[in-house]
Amino acid sequence: MYVIHTKGLTKSYRRFEKEEGLRGSIRSLFHRQFVVKTAVRDFDLQVKEGEFVGLIGPNGAGKTTLVKMLTGIIAPTSGEIAVLGYYPNKLENAFKKQYAVVMGQKSQLIFDLTAADTFLLFKEMYEIPKEVYRRNLELFIDLFGAREYLNMQVRTLSLGERMKMELVTALLHNPKVLFLDEPTIGLDAPAQRQIRAFLKEVNQRNGTTILLTSHYMEDVRSLCPRSVVVGQGQKVYDGSTEALFNAYQTHKKITVLFAGESHFAVPVGCTMIEQSPHKAVFTVPKEQGGAVLERIMGEYPLNDISIEEEDMGVIVEKIYQGETGA
Amino acid sequence: MSKNMYRNVRFILLLIKLKLSRMMVFRFSFFGAFFADGTLFLVQLLTFSTIYGHVDSIGGWDRGQMILFVGTFSLINALNMLIYFFGVIGIPDKIKRGDLDQYLTKPINPLLRLTFESVNPGSFLLVVMSVLIIGYGVSVSGIEVSAGLALAYTGLVLLMTLLWYDMEVILRTIPFLVISANGIEQLEGHLIDLNFKVPGVLYNGVLKVLFYFIMPYGVMSTVPTQLLSGVVTAPGLVQALCVVVVFTVFTLWFWRFGLRRYKSASS
Repeated sequence: MYVIHTKGLTKSYRRFEKEEGLRGSIRSLFHRQFVVKTAVRDFDLQVKEGEFVGLIGPNGAGKTTLVKMLTGIIAPTSGEIAVLGYYPNKLENAFKKQYAVVMGQKSQLIFDLTAADTFLLFKEMYEIPKEVYRRNLELFIDLFGAREYLNMQVRTLSLGERMKMELVTALLHNPKVLFLDEPTIGLDAPAQRQIRAFLKEVNQRNGTTILLTSHYMEDVRSLCPRSVVVGQGQKVYDGSTEALFNAYQTHKKITVLFAGESHFAVPVGCTMIEQSPHKAVFTVPKEQGGAVLERIMGEYPLNDISIEEEDMGVIVEKIYQGETGA
Repeated sequence: MSKNMYRNVRFILLLIKLKLSRMMVFRFSFFGAFFADGTLFLVQLLTFSTIYGHVDSIGGWDRGQMILFVGTFSLINALNMLIYFFGVIGIPDKIKRGDLDQYLTKPINPLLRLTFESVNPGSFLLVVMSVLIIGYGVSVSGIEVSAGLALAYTGLVLLMTLLWYDMEVILRTIPFLVISANGIEQLEGHLIDLNFKVPGVLYNGVLKVLFYFIMPYGVMSTVPTQLLSGVVTAPGLVQALCVVVVFTVFTLWFWRFGLRRYKSASS
């Protein structure tokens, strides 16, 4: 049996539209215009118990809408959906006690109080037995090394510290499924690494099924053996994360800031994205990355250089076009 | 007490404790709230003194009944502020901003949590002062209050507080269905203001239908006052009780209806 099952899942919204200015406002007062936007279309997804699945896609692809349907926050327009055998939008407490959701941009902590106070609220809401509560709290706090933050007012915690507390809160009741929507958004590299290590441990130790949406390739690459790529509300890839990155993430994006004015010549095989006398942004095929960097550093006086993974939007576009590096 | 009810009571008590803890974090707010609500009450009292100070009878009601009416309205309003007003008032914003997501994904009734998570102990002073006004009204009217009458009056006031709650929730459920419902909330404010000053016995015809059955603010203080002063009729009492039952059933249905249409907000 699958923990998550969807078939032909579709969600459409009616969106209000009006022309600009006062005239448009007056017209819309008497004649409302709506457009239908399909955020998720014919989506089939099966996730087995204990899997760690990455849900990736550019902004507005429909990832969050999918998570909201899976957690029952919104109702689908059509199609089949079952999570742990429940229809999520029936919002049954028996279902809600078996999953947890962490949204990177929406906190569930009580900002004016301490994280420990929020934990007490969750203990009551989820009816967590005293022993289980104490054991889990000790375990997760130790895993994060976050004991010192327990009794601090939440609003005084840094973003990274707060996200650790969000995750501890979400896991106190031993959820079978954990939905994570951009848990590392806005965090610095060390905090991202700590959270990744924590999630890996939770997945392996407790067998928690985790569905992770993230903009950060590194989150998905280091945590999820399986990836589902979403583009324009549809599933465009479902399979091995390694194979996905090998096949489609063929280039690196390099940004160089020159120490003075430079007449930078684009290296062979690279594609220029942005160029000025002080800055150049270009993509380079992965296998040529080392050689190109070596050449640039030898030939130009530099202030700064950064190397990034290719943008998710580019990868989705390549999947659409069936374009691979192979 | 059923297991579910026991759980809800425990949860409500925890929400109250957390709210008190939150208030105590900000010491000024904790003590300031008592001062603010007490001041509000005094302003209202002055308004009523100015309007009714030189009037002996309105619509057949004598001065004692008028004081009872004012005290009862104040009491219902104070209970509203004490228990649920500050929780319910935030519902439209939570719908618009998608903050209801966090309530829907937790295994506790979202309306129960919203209702009791922002209790306002500052309004307790208002409850006490309202009771004192009612006591004064009783003495001016020369009413002998038996234990049974006190109990019936208290029960009726609590039912009318529930009716006020129903109205607040119904109006704040509308944003599930429309883009903005600010106008409706403003209208509610004006209607409450009007009915705080005018006893329901003064309404006739369309206004009576409006304030007794559609926006039943006219019933809320009038019927308990009639009960206390011994002029309530059996059909009037039954009618008021039916209004409470119908509105409560409708509120719960309408809330669930709205929830099914919740769209959240894009992240």
